[in-house]
Amino acid sequence: MRRIERLINLVAALLETSRPMTADEIRRSIGGYDEAPNFEAFRRTFERDKESLRNIGIPLEVTTTDVWDDTPDGYIIPKARYYLPDIDFEPDEVAALRIAAEALLGGGEQAEAGLMKLSLDTSSAPWSGPRAVFGADLSVEGTALGALYSAVIERTPVSFQYRPARSDETRERVVDGYGLLHRFGHWYLVGRDRSDDVVKSFKVARIESSPRRIDGSYEVPADFDASQHLLGKSFEIGNEVENATIRFDAAMRWWPEQNMPEAKTREAPAGALDVEVPVGNVDALVSWVLGFGARVELVAPTAAREHLVKHLAPYLDGASS
Amino acid sequence: MSDTADSRIARRLRRILLLLPYAIKHPGVSLDELARKFEVRKKDLVEDFNLVFFCGLPGYGPGDLIEVAMDDERVYVRMADYFGAPLRLTPAEALALYAGGATLAGTPGMEEADALRRALTKLGKALGATDDDGGDIGIQVKVERDAAGHLEDLTRAVKEAKRVRLEYMSASRGQMTERDVDPWGLITALGHWYLVGWDRSVEDERMFRLDRMKEVVLTDDGVEVPDDFDPERYKGAFLGDAAQDRVTFEISPRAARWFAEYYPIEGSEEMPDGWTKVTLISGGARWAATLLLRLGADARNVSPREVEEEARSLAQEIARRHR
Repeated sequence: MRRIERLINLVAALLETSRPMTADEIRRSIGGYDEAPNFEAFRRTFERDKESLRNIGIPLEVTTTDVWDDTPDGYIIPKARYYLPDIDFEPDEVAALRIAAEALLGGGEQAEAGLMKLSLDTSSAPWSGPRAVFGADLSVEGTALGALYSAVIERTPVSFQYRPARSDETRERVVDGYGLLHRFGHWYLVGRDRSDDVVKSFKVARIESSPRRIDGSYEVPADFDASQHLLGKSFEIGNEVENATIRFDAAMRWWPEQNMPEAKTREAPAGALDVEVPVGNVDALVSWVLGFGARVELVAPTAAREHLVKHLAPYLDGASS
Repeated sequence: MSDTADSRIARRLRRILLLLPYAIKHPGVSLDELARKFEVRKKDLVEDFNLVFFCGLPGYGPGDLIEVAMDDERVYVRMADYFGAPLRLTPAEALALYAGGATLAGTPGMEEADALRRALTKLGKALGATDDDGGDIGIQVKVERDAAGHLEDLTRAVKEAKRVRLEYMSASRGQMTERDVDPWGLITALGHWYLVGWDRSVEDERMFRLDRMKEVVLTDDGVEVPDDFDPERYKGAFLGDAAQDRVTFEISPRAARWFAEYYPIEGSEEMPDGWTKVTLISGGARWAATLLLRLGADARNVSPREVEEEARSLAQEIARRHR
């Protein structure tokens, strides 16, 4: 018997069984396993099959079959965890989801596979949509993300190795995940760090191990809003925040006028515009200002101005030219 | 080898577990309809159903096996009610669909935003991720800001296939430029919105960042979008063009901690002293020079030589303004 047939038989039997089946029962009764010459060979085959089913998201559970013995030795696929509940989508809703799935750059296959499951009942929706107008690169294909997402919606704590931005010290964190948030091209897990009981954000790209689920459960505070735990622009972050003045010349002033509408501004000589920004991290501010080339000047504070010139030193011939 | 065999089997199993509920719910469905719906060849469908015919429940007698009848290209599946509903979405599938949906729902000028929001609320409830008022979904996507409001104009330009004239701050030249662009699509990536299209002044494909557009004007000239336009090519907001110049330099261990999260590195090599040699596709000498100045003492050993020279002359110019 071919492997795919055996897998279908296994899913069918474990979905339909009223009580968990032991490995021995599986070997004796499910079509395809009787071909194994001995128990060891069966074990290897069965392990591989379990792995395959779990990889495509089939909820194969292991429980005990004997009230006197807690060794988990029974296998079952609970119907409630397998079947997708009926969702009554309108045709325009499926069509809109289709556009979203198509827009995804990376991870589009996952979205399409999910959409296929959701749209079995809406045969009327046109299957090929209009030409794609949008593309969204959300980096959803990272392996940690799916695991973090299921932990968040199931309210299960996770542990992982985390490498903070400002040091090399990678260490284990145990986190009650409250939500996942995508901003400025990066994913963040926002949640309570169990070691210090503080709600903070963890950049998913700096999680250096597969997230491991920890026993336990938690509640998400009713007033939780992930976006309130995100940090601002990188140069705003720091312990001591002071105001800096950035001068955009006449040819560049449209940039802050257009992109920083809520910033405090002041007219400056020669048609330039001074913009005030809160600064907690001078290095990040210097980097941001240099991104504009020579059309932008860091006016104040003086210390930051000097810092900028010092930062350029490797490219200035002789330090004092 | 076994890896690809495994993934082939996984793909096929996923497909069969989707085909069966559909065929059970729609007795007499035609092979043509199934082929269209699941984007599979009819030949593969017939093979799938022939295979299912030998599967079923323990006992595997006439009352236990799945019944499949194919009559004049119509399919009837019985005795498999346990396969009557599809498998739930995996976390990865749900996340991808959710994140993509939330992004577009939050995009200004999106006609389908309302339908998308309704769909996401229903999906969230079914997945147990949303409370009854449609509140928490476990995922938020902050759509990149478009303070200047260019996105709506450009969406219209793409949909109506109209050429646009841009007043644009060019990163590769470090100055304002005027560009006539045939718009193909809009991409959000790495924290910015981009317009992708054909730049008529250089007769080449280009990406333009929306926050660098001072002015967007729609013209009456119609444009033709290439049939093979595929947004997937612009992942990472980068045209991975083999013909483009490369820039190579070494970055300090401190910079190496974050650099790869923001710049698409083509190759990297650890140096004996802990620095990392990186190679990137260059967005032009000026672009690379700006990047080097931002890195300051965290970068060294730049090549080619003209990038280093550009960085020196730009540094002089900036330093003069700050003395």
